[in-house]
Amino acid sequence: MGKYVLKRLGYVLVVFLILSILMYLVYAMIPYDRARAEVEQYKTVYKNEPEKFEAKYQELRKELGLDQNVFVRYLGWLGLAPINGTYQGILQGDFGYSYEYNRPVIEILGEPMRNTIFINIFATILALGITIPLGIFCARHRGGKRDTIIQTATIIGYSIPTFIMAIVFIWLLAILIPIFPVSGMKTAGSNFTGVRQLLDELYHMGLPLVVMTVSSLGGMTRYVRASMTEALSMDCIRTARAKGLREKVVVYSHAWRNALIPIITLVIGWFLGIFSGSIMIENIFGLNGMGQIYINSLNAKDFEVVLLLQMFYVIIGLLGNLVIDIAYGIADPRVRVNK
Amino acid sequence: MTKKILSLVLALIMVTACIAGCTGDEAVKNENKVIIGSTTDLSGDFRFPGWGGSSAGASDQDVNGLTVGYSTMETNQGGAYVWNNTAVKSHTESEDADGNLVITIEINEGLKFSDGTDVKAVNYLAYILAFSSPVVKSAEHPGMAGQAMVGFEAFTGYQGDVDYAKVKADAKAAAKKAAQEAATAEKPFDEATWDAAWEAKYVEPAKEFSGVRLLGDYKFSLTISAAKGYYPYYFASTYGAVSPYPMNFIFGDGVEIKDDGKGAYLTGNWYEKDGDTYKKGAHVAAARYDVSTYAFSGPYVIKEWDQATKQCTLEINPNFAGNFEGQKPSIKTIVYTKIVQETQLDQFKTGQVDILSGITGGADTQAALAAVDESNGKFAEVHYQRAGYGKLQFECDFGPTMFQSVRQAVAYVLNTAEFASAFTGGYGTVIYGPYSPDFDMWKAVGDKISLIDYSFSVENAKKALVDGGWIYNSKGEAFVEGQSGVDAVRYKKLTAEEAAVLDGVNKNYTSVENTDGVEYKTVKVGEDYYMPLVINWFGTTNNDVTDMLAARLVGTDNVKALGMVVRSSVGDFDKLLGEIYRMPSYGYGGTPTYGMFNLATGWNSAIYDYAFNWSLDPAYFDYSSNKLYDEYDKAYPYYDAEGNHTKKSYADAVAASGDKLGMDYLSMAMVYDATTADEYNQWWQAYIERWNELMPDVPLYSNYYYDVYNAKIENFKTSPFWSPVDALLYCTIANVAE
Repeated sequence: MGKYVLKRLGYVLVVFLILSILMYLVYAMIPYDRARAEVEQYKTVYKNEPEKFEAKYQELRKELGLDQNVFVRYLGWLGLAPINGTYQGILQGDFGYSYEYNRPVIEILGEPMRNTIFINIFATILALGITIPLGIFCARHRGGKRDTIIQTATIIGYSIPTFIMAIVFIWLLAILIPIFPVSGMKTAGSNFTGVRQLLDELYHMGLPLVVMTVSSLGGMTRYVRASMTEALSMDCIRTARAKGLREKVVVYSHAWRNALIPIITLVIGWFLGIFSGSIMIENIFGLNGMGQIYINSLNAKDFEVVLLLQMFYVIIGLLGNLVIDIAYGIADPRVRVNK
Repeated sequence: MTKKILSLVLALIMVTACIAGCTGDEAVKNENKVIIGSTTDLSGDFRFPGWGGSSAGASDQDVNGLTVGYSTMETNQGGAYVWNNTAVKSHTESEDADGNLVITIEINEGLKFSDGTDVKAVNYLAYILAFSSPVVKSAEHPGMAGQAMVGFEAFTGYQGDVDYAKVKADAKAAAKKAAQEAATAEKPFDEATWDAAWEAKYVEPAKEFSGVRLLGDYKFSLTISAAKGYYPYYFASTYGAVSPYPMNFIFGDGVEIKDDGKGAYLTGNWYEKDGDTYKKGAHVAAARYDVSTYAFSGPYVIKEWDQATKQCTLEINPNFAGNFEGQKPSIKTIVYTKIVQETQLDQFKTGQVDILSGITGGADTQAALAAVDESNGKFAEVHYQRAGYGKLQFECDFGPTMFQSVRQAVAYVLNTAEFASAFTGGYGTVIYGPYSPDFDMWKAVGDKISLIDYSFSVENAKKALVDGGWIYNSKGEAFVEGQSGVDAVRYKKLTAEEAAVLDGVNKNYTSVENTDGVEYKTVKVGEDYYMPLVINWFGTTNNDVTDMLAARLVGTDNVKALGMVVRSSVGDFDKLLGEIYRMPSYGYGGTPTYGMFNLATGWNSAIYDYAFNWSLDPAYFDYSSNKLYDEYDKAYPYYDAEGNHTKKSYADAVAASGDKLGMDYLSMAMVYDATTADEYNQWWQAYIERWNELMPDVPLYSNYYYDVYNAKIENFKTSPFWSPVDALLYCTIANVAE
C-alpha cells in the first residue's frame, strides 16, 4: 500500500509538472503585456519626458522577466531560474504577485478560501444529508407515487440553471417573503463577535446555501437511486432477504455497501470541491469567495493568481483521485491494493 | 434515527438563520448611519489608493476621501481646485531667480489628527519627502511624489550615507553583465558609451530636497521646477495641494524632518539598509494597509475594515475641523459595502443599503425611478449628466478616417440623437465635443462656443464627402451611386504625401471581414492611388454599444447611400488597446488595420489638460489616442524649428496664424500660455471648436447618472465632480434615534 501511494505521488508530480508547463504556455500565449499595463501609471508623471516613459517600460519588462523567453520565465516562476537576477519562484515561497489587488497572491487568497470552505462545507453536508437518504428511499419505493413525484422534482431541479434558481429564490425568500437578505455576507456596520457573528454569517449564507443545496439535489439523488436500485436487485440481497434479515440491515448494511463504489467518486469529489467556489453563486450573492476571485482575476488578466489557483486545483484533483482509489479499497475489499 | 438527526440539523439551521436575520435587522434600524453600496470592489488600499499609480479603485478612493482631510487644496462641487482655508492660514506664489514657482504655505494652528496630535508643517512634507526617496521603491511605490519640484533628481538619488563611487561601479558591473549576456558580435558592451550615458543622466545625490522647505512649525514652501517644464503651467498651483500624514505612519519610529537652510531632509534611520534592502521599506509596505494603528486627518476614521466581507465601517472624527468650507460631518457612521450590480436595487429597496450611485442605462434608471416613485417618499433621487461620453474614436493617421470629411460624414450619418436615446433609454443626451456642462469653463464661455451641429443628415454627410474629394470609383472615374461590387463605394485620389504615410500603408489599404465576398482595397490607376471609402471598425465583445452601432452602420441603407462601407470586427478590450497603441505584445500585427473603435471616456480630474495629445512629435505617440496631426499645426506649430516657443496672447496667436490655430497649439497654449481663468477659457473655447470641426471622435451619448438614496438622508446633492461621499459631509439624518 505504502509503495503504491508513493508511486502514485510520483505520478502526481509528473502530471503536475506537465500541466504546469502547458498552463504557463497557454497564459504566455495570450496577447497581453503586463509591463505595458503597469507603465500606464507613469504616463502622467513622465508627460514631459517620453524617453523616460519608454525607459521605464523597458525597465519593467526586465523586472518582470518579459525580456526573457517563455521557458526561462516558466523556470523563474517555479524558482529554478533567476528573473532579473534573483531566484524568486514557488520553490522560494514566492507564489506570485497580484497586480489587480496589489499584493502577493498568497495574501489575497486566504479570506476567499475561508469563505468558500465555510459555505461549501454546509452545502455539501446538507446536500449529502438529503440526497443519500432520498435516493435510498426512492430506490426502495421504485415506481411508487412518491418516487415518481421525487423523480419529477429532481429532473426539474436538475434542468434549471443555477442562476435562474438563484434569482427565483431571491425573489421568493428575500423580496416576496423577506426572510433572508438579497446578498452580502454580514449586516452592514455590525461588529458582532462570537456566536452572534456566526449567526449573522449563517443568516447571510442562508439563501446561497438554500440555492446550492436545492441545485445539487437532483443529480445526486438520481445517482444514489440508480446505484441503490442496481444493488437491491443483486442476488446477494435476495439471499439476505431469504435469510430473514431485517430490511434495514439488508438495505443499509448489504445493499448500501454494494452501491457505494460509484457514489464514493461523487461524494469525495464533492468534498474536494469545497475548495473551489461557485462563480455563479458567489457573483449573484456578492460572496467574496474563490469563484469570485477566479473570475475577477481572469477578467483582469491577473494571470499569476489564475495560474496559482489552477495549479492548486490540479494538485487537489490529482490527490483526490488517489484518495478515491484508496477509498474504493476501503469500501470494497475486492479492489483493495495490496502491493 | 438518521432521518431525525438530519431533520433536526436542517430545522436548526433554518431557525438560527431566521433568528439571526430578525435580530440583525433590528440592530441597524433608526441609527445615525448611512450604508453606501458600491459595485466596485473594496481592496483595503485606503491609505494610498493605487499606490502612487493611476489605477486606483473607485471604492478605495471614496474611503480615502472620507479619511484624508486638511489638504491645502481641495476640489469643490464644480471639480475645481480651491485653497482650503480651514487648513491654510495663508499662501503666496512667487517666482524665484530661475523662473521657478515658489508656493509658500502657512497652515493654521490647532488642527488635530484623529488621535489628538497636532497637525504641523512636517506632516505636510512627510509624504513628499518619503515618497520621493528610494526607500519607498522597495515597497513597490513609484517614488515620484516630488517629481515636479526643484531638486527631485538629487534627492531621489540619495541613498543615505553610502559610497556613490561604489554605486556607480555596481551599476556598471550589472549593466556590463546584462549586456554581455545579451551581447552580439555586432553590438558588444561599450564601456565608453555607458560612462557617457551615466554622466549625462547622473545628478549628484543630495540629502536635502532643495525644492521642499520647512520654514517653521506651521510653514513650508514648495518650489515647482521651470527647467523641467512644470512651470509656467496653468495648473501649477495644484502642485501645492498636499495632505498631512502622521509622522509615525509615514516613517515609523526614529525619523525626523529637518531643514538647515538648503532644503528639507530626513534624519535618523530612514535610509538604513539590511544588505541591499532598506529596512524602512517593510514599514512602508505594512503601513499601506494598516487602518487601525495610525491616526486619520479626514472627517471620518476607519473603525473596521472587514477584508472577508469587503465592508468598511467609518465613524466620525471628532477632531476634524472641517473641509475647505469649514463643513463638518454629522452622520455618525458610514458603512461602505460591496454590492451586486444585478440585485443592487433589491438591496436598496429592502433596506440593505441607503445609497446607490451612478445608476445609468434605460432599464436600470427606469427601475430606480420606479422604486423612488412607488416609495411614498421613502426614497429620493438626484441626477446629473456624466462628465464624459461614449464615443466612436478615429485613427487619424491612415485610411479613410485620416480625412476630416470622412469623420464628419460618419458623424452626420449616424443618428446620434436616436442612438443616445436608444442606448440610454432616454436618460442621456448628445454632445458635440469633449466638454461637460458642469465644467466651470463651459459655464463661463459655453454660450459663446460655436459648434457644428452634427444632427442626422445624409445630405450633409454626402456633401462633406464630395467636398473632401471622395468622388471617384475604383477606375478613377466619377463615382455613380447605386453600383455594386467594389464600385458601390466612393474612392478618393490620394496625394503623394497621403499615399506615403506610415511607410505607404494607404497604398495597401484593404477592407477586412469581407463576409459578403467583396474585398475593397486601394487601387493604382496610372500613377495615382485611389482609396476606397471603407472603414474597418473594431468593437469589443459583450458590449451593447457595439451591437447597436453594428445595426446602424454595417450595411444600412443610409451608409450605402453615401457610398460608404463599414466593416465590423469584434474582440476583447486588450486587443482593442493593442490596435490603438499599436503594441505587438497585445496582438497588434504590425500594420494598422482599424480606423474606428468604440469606447468611452470621462473627466474625473479637476485638471483639463490635453497638452501633448495632439503633438506632431512621434515621441509623444503614446499620449495620442487619435494620432491626429492637425494641418494647422504643421503650418503654424507651437514650437518653432529650434524647439522654442514665444508666448502670445490668444488674439496675437490668432492673428499670427491667420486664424488657423491647430489642436496641438491650442491644447499646449491652454495650459502653458494661459495665466488667468479668462485666458484659459479663451483657449479652451477655441480648442473645443477646433475639436468639433475635426471630429477625432464622434460622441455617441452622454448619459445621465442617477443616485438614489433613502430620504432619511437630508440635503444629499451630488454632481459629476461631487460624489456621494463628498455630499455626505453636508447631510444629516432625519429623526435620529438617540
